[in-house]
Amino acid sequence: GDSWGIFTFLCAALCNLPALPALNCSEELGAGQSIQQTYDLTRYLEHQLRTLAGTYLNYLGPPFNEPDFNPPRLARAERVPSATVDLDLWRGLTDNARLAANYRAYSRLLCYLRVLDGQVGTAELRHRLAHFCASLQGLVLSIGGVMSSLGYPLPAGPAGPPTPPGAPAAPNDFLKKMDDFWLLKELQTWLWRSAKDFNRLKKKVPPAVVTLRLEARGF
Amino acid sequence: VSPAADPAVISPQDPTLLIGSSLVATCTVSPDFPLKAQDLYWTLNGRRLPAASYAALGPSTLSVALAHLNGSRQQSGDNLVCHSRDGGILAGSCLYVGLPPEKPVNITCWSKNMKDLTCKWAPGTEGETFLHTNYTLKYKRRWYGQDNTCQEYHTAGTYSCHIPKDLALFTPYEIWVEASNRLGVAVSDVVMLDILDVVTTDPPSDVHVSRVGDLEDQLSVRWSSPPALKDFLFQAKYQIQYRVEDSSEWKVVDDVGNQTSCRLAGLRPGTVYFVQVRCNPFSIYGSKKAGIWSDWSNPTAASTPRSERVAGGWDPKGGEQNTTLRRELKQFFGWVKKHAYGCSNLGIKLYDQWRVWLQKSHKTRNQV
Repeated sequence: GDSWGIFTFLCAALCNLPALPALNCSEELGAGQSIQQTYDLTRYLEHQLRTLAGTYLNYLGPPFNEPDFNPPRLARAERVPSATVDLDLWRGLTDNARLAANYRAYSRLLCYLRVLDGQVGTAELRHRLAHFCASLQGLVLSIGGVMSSLGYPLPAGPAGPPTPPGAPAAPNDFLKKMDDFWLLKELQTWLWRSAKDFNRLKKKVPPAVVTLRLEARGF
Repeated sequence: VSPAADPAVISPQDPTLLIGSSLVATCTVSPDFPLKAQDLYWTLNGRRLPAASYAALGPSTLSVALAHLNGSRQQSGDNLVCHSRDGGILAGSCLYVGLPPEKPVNITCWSKNMKDLTCKWAPGTEGETFLHTNYTLKYKRRWYGQDNTCQEYHTAGTYSCHIPKDLALFTPYEIWVEASNRLGVAVSDVVMLDILDVVTTDPPSDVHVSRVGDLEDQLSVRWSSPPALKDFLFQAKYQIQYRVEDSSEWKVVDDVGNQTSCRLAGLRPGTVYFVQVRCNPFSIYGSKKAGIWSDWSNPTAASTPRSERVAGGWDPKGGEQNTTLRRELKQFFGWVKKHAYGCSNLGIKLYDQWRVWLQKSHKTRNQV
């Protein structure tokens, strides 16, 4: 069921990665489609995350799984990229900057999630986490595909150590639970924000516009 | 080093405790924060702890006494949290309250086609230790060799492990399981086995069930021996089980021997039957020991022909002669049902001959 969805998205994303980053008609056509697919993938992940977060927070136990739980964001938690941004700033983002912010954020979030996967207790959780990481990997690839098809360079390698230098691992188990909570929270916020990002991009690169450009070039 | 110091420190931080033990925890506010002991309160797993159990140990240190602790609510640890008066979280500590593990029991292993070994076990009698328990399956060749650790877990259920290669035949292995959690370790009894003693195969393939001509109470079952058997000096014995479509009661045919076909008799006419076959590789390399039965093959369905004649089905013109015949027939059917059970071909042959005779005599009678 779910795996087939991921598979088709991954294939679509990979197919849209051209060999050379040169701009041409077919790539713009591809971009419109893959923006839609990326949007769909963020909605799918949002749905998946709801189940994963529910299970994980229950594993952490109360008060983490209480609906109104809102612990302080200690300085150490800043290493997880934040989705919240000033509205005007968000509106004014170029397509490149918008896509790059998404790409960077999910690459980092994926790293942290993978570390989580290695430490977590129950087999059910590990299974769910692994499945979610695979889907998230698909999203990163999909965003990369959109960027390439629009001729934008991919942001510098996200593959760093799971805990970047300057941000040590949580010094105790309770603080680690807080980190996990904020990781899931940021993931939720990012997916909610990405849906809006890709909706905005959809309007700027619709298939219809591309067809017109093709006809113009025909002369 | 994080720029802002943590608002408070709890001691002990993330302790491990036995069920029923007591604990006194302290929360000390960092000097940078303008909070006093009376501005603090405690919660455990989201529930506020009674102020009666608090004690101020200093101007900015509040303690709480917990007695007769129950097993942890979740394996990630109970959440003991120190709050400021407005509900804000200052610090937390995860309490791991439980029991040491019990000896794992009931270790059973099997080898698919002598190439690998899969073992499963059960946790000790209590089961619930409230703490995350790690299981490690270890094995070594008896008398020599070092301990090896199994790597592939959960292949046949939660408490299982799979050893995919480098197993020697004709040599006894010692196998055991170690269970460990924060409170201790428990080691199971050692199981000794030779791979050749626990061999199983895939179920037989190509199981075909078909009618035997017009015979209403027989079905013929045919299958192929599992391909892996060809490689080894195996003999195989088979078992068949069958049931009627709407029953959950299986009838087992035990004396199939090493044939790859069998006739089921004494069945009901016009009924759908489900048939399964399984295989046991025995006499491996000449030993007389039996192996482990394979899984049953996927059920194959077939139906016996429905009698086209009227029930009782004899020519009504027969009269008295028919009643005697009928009685004899009933007796014979009874005998057949008793003796044609299983694949005993003698009974089948006799029965077939009798049927042929019956048809002939029926024809002659009608001709008269």
